[in-house]
Amino acid sequence: MENNPIPVIEVKGVRKSYANGAEVCALDDVDLTIGHGQRVAIMGQSGSGKSTLLNLICGLDVPTKGQVLFEGRDLATMSDDDRTRIRRVKMGMIFQTFNLLPTLTGVENVALPLRLNGVALREANEKALAMIEKVGITKRAHHRPDEMSGGERQRIAIARALIFDPPVLLADEPTGNLDSHTGEDILSLLESVHSEFGTTILLVTHNEHAAEHCERRVTLLDGKIVADETDTSRTANVSSV
Amino acid sequence: MTGVLTQITSRQWRIHYTRLILTIVGIALGVAVFFAIQTTNVTLVNALGGTIEKLAGRATLQVTGGDTGFSEDYLKTVRATPGVALSEPVTETMATLAMPEGEKIVVLGLDTTSDLKLYSDMFDEKGLEVKNPLAFTSKADSIAVSRKFADRYGLKDGDKLPLRTQAGTQEFTVRAIFRSAGAGDVFDGNVAVVDVYASQELFGKKGRFDRIDVMNSPNVTVDDLKQRIRAEMPAGITVERPERRSEGLENTVSSMHLGLTVMSFLAFTVCAFLVFNSFAISVNQRWKEIGVLRAIGVTRGGIQRMFLTEAAIVGVVGSIVGVGIGFMLAEAAIGVVLNVSLTVYGAAASPGALEFNYGFAVEAIVAGVVVSLLAAWLPSRAGARLDPIAALHDIETRTSKDVANLPRLAAGVVLLAAGLLLTTFSTPTVGLNIQLFYTLLIQAGMILLLPKFIEWGSRALRPLMNYFFGVEGLIAVETLIKAPRRTASTVGALMIGLAFVYSTGAYIISQKAAIDGELDRSLDVDILVTSSQQLQTTSNHFSAVTAASVMSLPEVAIADTLRISSVNYGGEKVSLLAHDMKSYFAMSPNLLEEGDRQAAESKTAEGKGVLISKNLAYRGNLRMGDTVKINSPTGTLELPVVGMLSYSRSEKGTIFIDKGVFQKYWNDTDVDDILIDLRPGTDPVQFKQRVQAAIGGEQDAFIYTHDEFKKWVDGLIDQFFALFYLQMVIAIFVAALGLVNTMVISVDERRRELGIFRAIGGLRRQVMKMVLLEAVAISLIGLAAGAITGLFNAYFLVHTAARVVAGFSVELIFPYTMVLTAVPFVIVVAVGAAFLPAMKAARTNVVEAVGYE
Ligand SMILES: Nc1ncnc2c1ncn2[C@@H]1O[C@H](COP(=O)(O)OP(=O)(O)O)[C@@H](O)[C@H]1O
Ligand SMILES: [Mg+2]
Repeated sequence: MENNPIPVIEVKGVRKSYANGAEVCALDDVDLTIGHGQRVAIMGQSGSGKSTLLNLICGLDVPTKGQVLFEGRDLATMSDDDRTRIRRVKMGMIFQTFNLLPTLTGVENVALPLRLNGVALREANEKALAMIEKVGITKRAHHRPDEMSGGERQRIAIARALIFDPPVLLADEPTGNLDSHTGEDILSLLESVHSEFGTTILLVTHNEHAAEHCERRVTLLDGKIVADETDTSRTANVSSV
Repeated sequence: MTGVLTQITSRQWRIHYTRLILTIVGIALGVAVFFAIQTTNVTLVNALGGTIEKLAGRATLQVTGGDTGFSEDYLKTVRATPGVALSEPVTETMATLAMPEGEKIVVLGLDTTSDLKLYSDMFDEKGLEVKNPLAFTSKADSIAVSRKFADRYGLKDGDKLPLRTQAGTQEFTVRAIFRSAGAGDVFDGNVAVVDVYASQELFGKKGRFDRIDVMNSPNVTVDDLKQRIRAEMPAGITVERPERRSEGLENTVSSMHLGLTVMSFLAFTVCAFLVFNSFAISVNQRWKEIGVLRAIGVTRGGIQRMFLTEAAIVGVVGSIVGVGIGFMLAEAAIGVVLNVSLTVYGAAASPGALEFNYGFAVEAIVAGVVVSLLAAWLPSRAGARLDPIAALHDIETRTSKDVANLPRLAAGVVLLAAGLLLTTFSTPTVGLNIQLFYTLLIQAGMILLLPKFIEWGSRALRPLMNYFFGVEGLIAVETLIKAPRRTASTVGALMIGLAFVYSTGAYIISQKAAIDGELDRSLDVDILVTSSQQLQTTSNHFSAVTAASVMSLPEVAIADTLRISSVNYGGEKVSLLAHDMKSYFAMSPNLLEEGDRQAAESKTAEGKGVLISKNLAYRGNLRMGDTVKINSPTGTLELPVVGMLSYSRSEKGTIFIDKGVFQKYWNDTDVDDILIDLRPGTDPVQFKQRVQAAIGGEQDAFIYTHDEFKKWVDGLIDQFFALFYLQMVIAIFVAALGLVNTMVISVDERRRELGIFRAIGGLRRQVMKMVLLEAVAISLIGLAAGAITGLFNAYFLVHTAARVVAGFSVELIFPYTMVLTAVPFVIVVAVGAAFLPAMKAARTNVVEAVGYE
């Protein structure tokens, strides 16, 4: 898979500033290339620009300067619909606050991206159930989010993120709202997803322990990349999969 | 602390200003309808009363004898009564100008040989322009007009003025112009004066006066003099202070006012829904804020006060705006009201300037604030009772759990059943106030059942939405199924608004159908010739000669003459119809609902009995054989009831007597309608021309075939309900506003959800479609709920209200086609209402929305 010549994500000279009142520069001249199947931990203190970077990568936001390429295509030049479809099919997103739709049950939440893509109700539900089984939470499938624990919600969110079998998984502090034990469960779930599907994973975290699940570690400080280390032993480990 | 909390609230306003504005508009509309109705009503009553009082001049008492007037001999009696300082005979005729505009003008017949001290306002020396007083009295064609009227038509001394009279068009000559003051100022100056004795001739009032205006001498009180004159007069003649007469008119238009009051009540209900809705959402939205405030030590009372203060402020602002809008609405409505008053009740009034009544304004504002406080009470209490810990929890815990619980459902079913059963079985004697309570039970029951109803409705819509609109439709209804409480207040507002539209529509249709049936039975004639296009009129009658010339046309098989007037019965103005009973029965054999046809025919024709309308029987608690006391200008008649029929001409009731009796006791041979059955083979169209020729083409005459007449009556009913149609428009508008409100709120509230939806791959288009479909689903469910509630309300209206107000027994016909035709309309309104919110939803900034708390 690493033979694929085009990197899955390329961030080139990106600057992102917010100009409400005083100008805040959330990201400044960031370059980052992420290859297929990599697991990258993005670290840094609160306010260092991690979420901003993730939002740019998934096309929810556009950079003030520079380019973000997904599979070689500049997100900024695409229409909003195209960006949205990429998010729907090619990127799974996991959030600190789970972000499930409160009115839908677990299975309905998971089936939602499928149904947005025009898949018939029954088929979508079947696939969703299968995916829920994979994340190991079948007994909660027909409950609404408010009837689930944080860990269960995050598992549903992961199932939703994986429903299209996307090449990229973006996780913004997925364990931030969970106790360390449940957090560990979620991280191993991500780990098994990676080994099963070879999914590229971007994991935003400021938890050292969580970062150990990734072979590459990018550290941000005040919107700049201050460190980019790759643990080669772990890379080798991946390619053997 | 209140200061800090107010500041927090004002911060909210800045963020959610659309919701704030919509809430204010909601209150404003409720207040506007209320204020407009009060203002219109008081203007109408003042105009009616003012007209009477102005026409009375300086008279302190007026002697009147109903629509037909009374014998001129009574003038002597009045003048002979000690204590009478001044007394003037008067005829009063609403005439039509024989000009293309056909304007109405009130023609007063006054004794121009007297010095008319009673009317000094209009005839004072400075205001009166008369070249030759002697010529005025000596020539029968003399007419005096008001300054205003003269100016409007550019009339000066010696000009001709053609008027339609019973004897055809008459040319009058202007010989005096008086000041537009007092009686000279009514009907916007459309007033003319002719000599009273000339007017008797011209307007078919030979030997009769309409009124005697009296002023007491200083040594006797008005009441004493009233008693003295009263003692000299038969029962059919009324002696009253002018002010008291105008109060009677208020009673005449009371049922119109009642209908309007019910409407303002409804407008407030819808308004309360909007406020409730808005505050429920506000509390929901500020969940976390409330949690934080509670956590840092704000008391429950503090939280509740924060919301109620907001409600009070919004209520005051909305109410003040509402009073302004209401005044404009009143301006638009007053013309319609005056028209109805004239056509339906025969009560004419000149539209005075609309009066801004500060008392009503204050009342309306207080009502607006109270409604807004009441509506905000439950949400604010819910906010205050919030568990701070749960409130500080995440969005996922925010969904309401206590939706459609069992006690609530049970209560709803019980209330609904109680309301319906009471409507069906309660005795009518309990009074309208208690009966209005039945509808409140019905509405309350429906409101309690709403969440369940929304759930059922959504489930029913689900497959349809899926089939037609795919996943967005499905998600839209699923949102409804999962969160029925969020939409409950909007569906409620729609339900109440549409229920009002449907029940009014049902009532109008039912009433029309009932009258249609009545006309088939009680007016089973080929041709109807009528002298006036008003239901009640004090002018424009055919003379007996004219009537005879029509009836003697060779095509006529049978003819009946009808004289329409009214009598005071039990303190109310009851219609009195004088038919040629033999012919009447011959033409309309299926007339009676109760009583033997043969016996009734011979009894009435001999003047030994009367027919009465069923509503009079109901209102007056009369049975067959009971004696009816009728006060005529020449004495009291006591006749037994020998037959009853459904007849809705007057909501106060109708009495039918033979024309012989009428002519004898009322001294009046005029005819208002001529009812004709034609010989077989006669062409009605040609016959109509023959009638026109026989009448001479100069007097107003309206000739209808049976079907045309029915259409005309239909139009009259529409006119009577014109204001209700206006209110229906307002109700729809308010309901649409409620929908806009909800959609704005829904989009606002679900900002985060929509953000998530977008984040995981929902297209803008899909978001928009989803929001629009949600609005469509809400409005379809609201429509269904409205139709059901409307059906119940209509049942109440025909079963109870029509009965209590007018004694009518009307069979309910529900306008199913109206419900169905409303479907596309409501969908369009829903899409229109949701369009901007949907656009806003599609443009949600995902990053902010997802991080939104
Ligand atoms: N919408 C916004 N408007 C203004 N400033 C923002 C916005 N979003 C983020 N920022 C600022 O950008 C910087 C980076 O934020 P973020 O990417 O959320 O940090 P992290 O996720 O690393 O905690 C912060 O200083 C933050 O205040
Ligand atoms: Mg962050």
